[in-house]
Amino acid sequence: MQIDWLTVAAQIVNFLVLIWLLQRFLYRPITNAMAQRETRIEERLSDAKSQRKDAEEEAEKLRKKREELEEAEQDMLEEARTEANELKQQLEQDVRDEVEQKRKNWQETLEDQRADFMQNMQRKAGHKVLDIAGRLMAEFTSGAIDDQVADGFVAKLTDLDPETCKKMTRAANNADSPALVESATKLDTAARQKITRTLHEEFETDIEVEYWEDEEMLLGVRLSIGEQTVEWSAARHLKRLNRELDTLLESAGPAKRKEATD
Amino acid sequence: MEISPDAWVLYEWQGLRLNATIVFTWGVMALLVLVSWIITARLSEGETVSRWQVMLEVVVTTIRDQIDEVGAADPARYLPFIGTLFLFIATANLLTILPGYQPPTGSLSTTAALAICVLIAVPLFSITRRGLGGYLKSYLQPSPFMLPFNLISELSRTIALAVRLYGNVMSGTVIVGILISVAPFFFPILMQLLGLLTGLIQAYIFAVLAMVYIASASRAQRKTDPAADTETPRTSREGD
Repeated sequence: MQIDWLTVAAQIVNFLVLIWLLQRFLYRPITNAMAQRETRIEERLSDAKSQRKDAEEEAEKLRKKREELEEAEQDMLEEARTEANELKQQLEQDVRDEVEQKRKNWQETLEDQRADFMQNMQRKAGHKVLDIAGRLMAEFTSGAIDDQVADGFVAKLTDLDPETCKKMTRAANNADSPALVESATKLDTAARQKITRTLHEEFETDIEVEYWEDEEMLLGVRLSIGEQTVEWSAARHLKRLNRELDTLLESAGPAKRKEATD
Repeated sequence: MEISPDAWVLYEWQGLRLNATIVFTWGVMALLVLVSWIITARLSEGETVSRWQVMLEVVVTTIRDQIDEVGAADPARYLPFIGTLFLFIATANLLTILPGYQPPTGSLSTTAALAICVLIAVPLFSITRRGLGGYLKSYLQPSPFMLPFNLISELSRTIALAVRLYGNVMSGTVIVGILISVAPFFFPILMQLLGLLTGLIQAYIFAVLAMVYIASASRAQRKTDPAADTETPRTSREGD
């Protein structure tokens, strides 16, 4: 064991110098660099943290907004759907009503047309029958029948009910125009005379009598004095028959048509 | 065969002898400072760090962590002193792999110088923390009768510190020297490797013990601080 105290002193100095040198070149720069790096990293971390916080807040805000929007959208959709449904139902109802109405109308029209057609058919058939009857009468009774017609008319005149007779008498007395006797065919003179005579006798007048032909009458005679008319003719019978036919057809019409007219 | 590099005088001028211990110490110092300087000249504070800087950072951080583990309150305070002790002793010991190199730590003068530094540093650190009165009072703990024992302990541990390092390093050198003369082919290499290991361990032990002494000197103060009652040193190593 040998200690050189000079060397010891020198080594102490050396050591202190080394401490100073290392402090100058090693510890301080290294610790400073590390501290600064740490500070920077911390700053960056806190920056990142605050940015992340901001971003999260922003995200939260956006999320809320989106939820609200979605809710509103849902509401609006629901509302629109309800409205659309209502509208659809209403439109459907309208269309259904319209179709129903049209169908009803169409049915009514159809019924009407059918009824009209039926009635026309019936009417035409009836009329045709009557027409044929009239024509047959006209064809088979031309000429020879005049006397009978005149007789028939005379008989009818004489058999007039007193009321009508009175009316006719009054009309004949007040008439300023001649009495008019119309017949389907031209009456021969004898018949005319017979009728004129009967007329004068029955109505106690000497009114002038004119004789006209009216083919539409088919068969028979019509007497018009002023406004009073006495008629005995096949046409009148036919007319009455036709009227009765019509009445019959009317009453026999379809029930629906009755309702519609109600 | 020279036991101590002190005896290896390289230059003498008017009674002042420049021995190998001092010269190799300068070498070690120059190496440490140069390496530090070269690396720290291009320090980076950004994210990209050179691997040399990483190495230095690891070294510095490790030393700081060790100081912290011993239980010192403020590692940055002790870092220059403890770190330099460790780095100097470790470098001085590791360089033994260079042929012709004599570790300055193999000289009792060097280890005594380092131990004296520790001897002075312990009260210095303690006084700066607690004041002169507080430090002196610690010699009277736990009772004034313990004063001589405290003084002896202070001195003996300094001597032990010096002798321990000296003995270990010197013995390594001596063993290698003896082995070279006995079996010059294989064993000296093994012993050299072992020497590297023990050299590093000795550097660690020296630095940690110095730290323990410093910390224990300031621990007495912390005991008076009720808030720090639970804080006890985590390591307390003694001896080799």
